[in-house]
Formats: sequence, C-alpha cells, structure tokens
Amino acid sequence: MSKLKYKIIPEGMLHSIYIPITAVFIDYADVKACNLTMYEACEKIAATIPGPAGLNMFDMTATTTNSNGIMLEGAMVCMAASDYGKINKDFGYMEMVEIPYSEELIKEEPHLKQWKKSFPDRKLYMGPDPNKKVIPIHNATLTGRAGNNNSGTEMMHYINMEELLLPISGQVEIMKDGKLEVGGTGWTISVGIGMVVGEEYGRIVPRRQWKCGKTAHNSGEYAKFLKSHIPIIAADKRAHAASIIRALQTGVIPGRDIGASPSVLAVAKHMKIQPDIDNIQDKALEELASVGCTMEWIKEDVEELTPEEIIERAHEIIPGIDNPKRYNVSDIVQVKYVDV
Amino acid sequence: MKLMHTKLPEFIRKMKAIAATVGSTYKECEVVGLENLKTAKMQSNRTGRIERAVTEITKHEDVYRVEVAVIPRIPESMHTAVIRGFDKDGKPVHAILETINILHPTEDVLIHDCPDVIDRRPPIGKH
Repeated sequence: MSKLKYKIIPEGMLHSIYIPITAVFIDYADVKACNLTMYEACEKIAATIPGPAGLNMFDMTATTTNSNGIMLEGAMVCMAASDYGKINKDFGYMEMVEIPYSEELIKEEPHLKQWKKSFPDRKLYMGPDPNKKVIPIHNATLTGRAGNNNSGTEMMHYINMEELLLPISGQVEIMKDGKLEVGGTGWTISVGIGMVVGEEYGRIVPRRQWKCGKTAHNSGEYAKFLKSHIPIIAADKRAHAASIIRALQTGVIPGRDIGASPSVLAVAKHMKIQPDIDNIQDKALEELASVGCTMEWIKEDVEELTPEEIIERAHEIIPGIDNPKRYNVSDIVQVKYVDV
Repeated sequence: MKLMHTKLPEFIRKMKAIAATVGSTYKECEVVGLENLKTAKMQSNRTGRIERAVTEITKHEDVYRVEVAVIPRIPESMHTAVIRGFDKDGKPVHAILETINILHPTEDVLIHDCPDVIDRRPPIGKH
C-alpha cells in the first residue's frame, strides 16, 4: 500500500473569507507514482471528505493559459466535484484535453506565441473537449451540493449558494508552494477576467467565441459587480507580475494577442508596451473605464521599470483584490495523505 | 402510445391517486419541482414508469408519505429570459430576449442518506 499526497483547504472560514466547499489540489506526478488513474485518485481522496468538495489535478510539467491568455508553469489535467464522499457518475468528473502544436493554432490563437518561446518542452492543456463533455455549457463538474466550475476556477455550494474564485495562477502557486493573496475579488478583477482570448478548447469559453479585444461579460457598467463580492484566493501579485512580464517579453500585445485586463495593462505600461487600442472594442473599454482604467490611465506616461523592479513593486502596480492579505501557501493549505 | 404525452395536472393527479389508494392505508404524495410550470405535456411512457415507481414505494409498509421530486437530469439548464415592458393597459410594448444557464444540485442531495436506492434511469443520451 502506498500513500497519495494531496493539498487541501477545508470548507469553512479561512481567516477573513468563507470557503464554501473543500478545495483539493493534486499533483499528477504523485498519482502516477501511486500507479493510479486520475479518476481513481480523485475517487480515493473524495472518499475521505464527507462534505462538498472540488478536486483539481495538475501536471506541473505542462502549461496552460489564464483567462487573459497568459501562459503559466503548470496545467490542470482533470477536475472533479464530490459530496458525501462520492463523485457523481455522470457529472462529477472531467478531464482536460491535450492540445497539439500547429502553426494553424498559433495563427488562430496568437496568444499561444508564448508557448514555443517560454515553454517549448511543455504539453498544453486548457479546458475539456467541448464535443465530449456531458454538461452542455459550462466546463463544470457537479456532485450534490458541490460545483467545480469554469475548469476548476470557481468552486460553489449549491445549497447556500456561496462561491470561491480560484484563478488558475493562484492554484499554480499552491502547487508550487509559493505565495498567495486572499481577499475579496472586487471590481477590478471582476472586469479583468472578462477580457478573454479566443480558444478552441478554452478553459472557460470554448470554440473561440470571443476574440481578443472583446469582453466576455459585455455587461457595461454592471460588469464590475458580477464577481466583486466573491472571495478569492489568487497568486501573490509578484508571481502574477512575473507571469505577465514573461508573456509580454515574448512579444504578445495586450488587446490584440492577450486580454487587456487592468493587471496586464498596468504591467505593460511600466514596460513601455502599448496595447492595441484600436482592436479593443468600445464595450470592453467602457468596462475598463468603469474601474478606473480610462483611456487617460492606459496612455499615462509612467516610469519605465525593469522586470525586477516591476516584480518588487507589483503590489503597488497591479490593481485588484479587496482587503488583501498575503500568505505563504503553507500558512493556509494543508498537506494530507490517503492510503491507496 | 410512446409519442403521446400527459397533461401536467393529470400527471400530478395520477401520482396522488396512486399513493392514496394502493397502500394498506391512505398516503399523501407531493409532486415538487414543477411549481413554476403552469402548463406542460409530460412524456407518457415515463409517466407510466413513474406511476409504477410510486406504486412500489407506496406499498412499502414502512412508508408513510411519498414525494416525487422532478429535478433537471442534466444539472445545467439553459433558459431564455424574456424581458418585457408593458404599457398602462397591460399590453407588452418592448421586449429583449437573453439567455441564462443555471447550475443545479444533482440528485445526490436527495438520496445521500437513503439506504435503498434503485436507479432505473437510462444512460445520458439514451432516452
């Protein structure tokens, strides 16, 4: 018998925020070492949790994108939702699809120019295959009271209807034992996550439904409120800044190749990289302006900084997160083992 | 018969009538989950199977009350939101159609503490 390691944030209060369902993070390398399938690993861990839970598994040797199209060091390869110790047989489990490299892909999804420049040896995973999944719209797994939605980045409780936002960059930090920022999602991130890129196998939206420069929210002045009240566990802004800088150094342009979110625009300004304003639709600009990212703010002549300086000052440069508190992963994430 | 459908009020009446009559005593049956439907046609062959299930549940001597909860089989449903504005005479004068997708709890919330569960549903896609 061997022991499968996993990380867990239990349901309940976590310092200042409410965790509506238990959140579990699993390393695929540990699963392989135990000679289990991904589903078996989720099932074994779910059996130890009596309440609602969301389970996400990562291949830290792969890469994925966040909703703005920024590529990250690690990728989610499957997700699950469990309750009462079980995973619903129809809707409780979903695997992500590996995306093969092609020049056609880079042409259609230009944010992936980062792939061969930043992560040439890594496999790419985003969301599930939209033609194979059972849930018609969302990339969600559901069991009982537990929902694990948008490819594992929104965990929710269907009875008390509370929700937790877990941006993929924060989950990668959890897997890397890095640093986190915890608080309220707030207006800025609520708008920022709507600045999406078109992806055939998108983690949030498949089939390239929104091209870069558009807003997935398309809600005008209401966009900033859509997620603002939800608690969030995000990557520390220094880690987030490092990911954005790495992306921008590959030559991708905000508003044309990667989503022009407030965080991307804020970092780009200090790197003296101009966004493609003409490619950003008015409705997206309106939403950005509603959180202070007006045209004047975007074009503001700010001090040019080195990548190291931007990372050092990331908490001052990158806007977003209400009442933020910073933690080491080990401060808020427990490590557990299950006999397998 | 397969293609015929049962009227919603008739569906509800049938379930209540079975529960009231097939057991050793009178038993109440409540149909829940369809409250916001004013009119609907219910698939007839499935109505028959649900009647049979209500009969079986009602006949258990340890059952005192029966419930038929109708919930979405796929726990995500896509809906149209019809936003209408009415004039002073109650006539609709402006409308916008939008869509909204709703995520629901799965059946596990209703059966997790029940010791005897028989799943007679066909696999997804084979209805």
